[in-house]
Amino acid sequence: MNLIEVSNVDKAFNDKKILNNVSFTVKEGSINGLLGPNGAGKTTMIRLLNGVIHPTGGEINVMGYDPQKNGDEIRRRAGIITESAALYHDMTAWENLSFFARIYGAYDVKRIDYLLQQFNMVQHKDELVGTFSTGMKKRISLAKALLHKPRLLFLDEPTNGLDPEGIKEVIQYLGQINQEEKVTILICSHVLHQLETICDSFLFLSKGRLIEKGTRLELEDKYLSQVYVVIETGLQLEGNTFMEFAFRRIGPNRLEFCLPSKDEIPVLLTRILQVSWVHSCEITNRSLESLYFKIKGDSNEQTHH
Amino acid sequence: MSKHIIKAIVEKDIRATFSSKKIWVPMFILVILLCMIVPAIIAYCGLYTGVFNNPAEDIEKPINSVIQSFPDEAMREKLAALPTLGSKFVYYFMNFMLIPFFLMVTIINSMVIASNSFAGEKERNTLETLLFAPVSIKELFVAKVIAAFIPTIALTFGAFIVNILVLNFISYSIIRELLFLNVTWLLLMFWVIPALVLFNIILSVLVSAKVKSFQEAQQFGGIMVLPIVGIIISQASGLFFLSSLILFLIGVGLLLGNILLLKWVTVFNSRNNLFESQIH
Repeated sequence: MNLIEVSNVDKAFNDKKILNNVSFTVKEGSINGLLGPNGAGKTTMIRLLNGVIHPTGGEINVMGYDPQKNGDEIRRRAGIITESAALYHDMTAWENLSFFARIYGAYDVKRIDYLLQQFNMVQHKDELVGTFSTGMKKRISLAKALLHKPRLLFLDEPTNGLDPEGIKEVIQYLGQINQEEKVTILICSHVLHQLETICDSFLFLSKGRLIEKGTRLELEDKYLSQVYVVIETGLQLEGNTFMEFAFRRIGPNRLEFCLPSKDEIPVLLTRILQVSWVHSCEITNRSLESLYFKIKGDSNEQTHH
Repeated sequence: MSKHIIKAIVEKDIRATFSSKKIWVPMFILVILLCMIVPAIIAYCGLYTGVFNNPAEDIEKPINSVIQSFPDEAMREKLAALPTLGSKFVYYFMNFMLIPFFLMVTIINSMVIASNSFAGEKERNTLETLLFAPVSIKELFVAKVIAAFIPTIALTFGAFIVNILVLNFISYSIIRELLFLNVTWLLLMFWVIPALVLFNIILSVLVSAKVKSFQEAQQFGGIMVLPIVGIIISQASGLFFLSSLILFLIGVGLLLGNILLLKWVTVFNSRNNLFESQIH
């Protein structure tokens, strides 16, 4: 079932187009990455989906509601963490959470306790949020977004300002929330490698246009015309091809092969294993970042033609 | 409109008002100084010292002529019957000249709190959090108005009660009449001031929702204090007396203004334009 349906949405501020004919859907229970550089229109998209601003054209449906007409119904069922939206710094963690719980009509001491425990903040609950580190604030924001057990969670650049450990924690929490509370998640980010492992499907925005969408697998099939594989093996080779596959030696026991598709990997490995050992095999050009540049490059070519 | 949401925001805002020293300290100073200390000093000096009793003749004459031409007969007789010029002055001050002090203090206090309501949320980036929550714009405005109204009125009523006790304690033995417990004062405290505060708060909240910062909101608010300053000047020079009828009519006018303002607020402030104009 689709939890979000966006079709042909435009948004302009003072004649400046921020979003241009954007269409996509988000399936219930999935984790989706909305990716693109700064200024691509990601934050605007999140605001439109929450009904806090209105589209110039097109249609949006979130959990069966039109954000323009029934925004409060959506906001009641969705949790959100945005980059700039803040907590009250002159209130404690506990006061912040109980205030927002009341605002969302979901005041429940047990739930607040549970979330503070989940995010490891119980010992800080009576401290002022203003004294917290960015990571601690982010954890309280996450708890705040989950107070009312939302069906849908919007996250705008959730890892900004966090150290690597904090980023890992947030990503881990999101996976956990998705599994345990069956929350559908839409994450906006420009830091691609962080989302690689967690998202089921991706939406690529560039200059207000949706240039590509799909699952990791679909995108790889479409854009990976060549697969680079680094194999750790004792195989000794002369020349620069093996079984018609080009290769180069990049270390004493490491060879990099260039294959036309992933399907050739087992064929190659079977053949190598007949004559030598293999300790590892890794595709090196499938990172989200390299896919992103490929997609962006292709879309630029299309606009030029 | 949800009572729970409004109550939650009101409680949070009132707590914020009293946890920010830059807001509540000036409010208390103003109330204590202008509405409690100044009248107490004037009453004490006028009744128990000779400070006001031996003025130059050119001051005494116009004061006596004001008393003689006073429009309210009961008041005129009472003024004429008081023994010294000092006691006449104290009686006159407590019944008329103190009124604008209360008006001004209440106006300034309500403005300080109300200017902070939206602008403060915006400066701390919490307005965005609230707009992303299932809070209607009407609930938000009503909560903001109530949250500014309660502390302002509480402070003014508090000062009024202290005045009733302290000033009557100081002056009853000489004036032989309970000050402040008359129609003019009661009408002022429970009819005009609430209506005026409400009017001022709605206006300040509206301004606060449109401007960029707390300072800007306060500057706009300053314009609203000018009419009150005008009343003080005219009051002191005896050109204009706030009679019970005028006070009552001022209250009616303000209430009508409040209804119009509230309608205007809800028509011109959708979440969409509040968000687009305030959040970047």
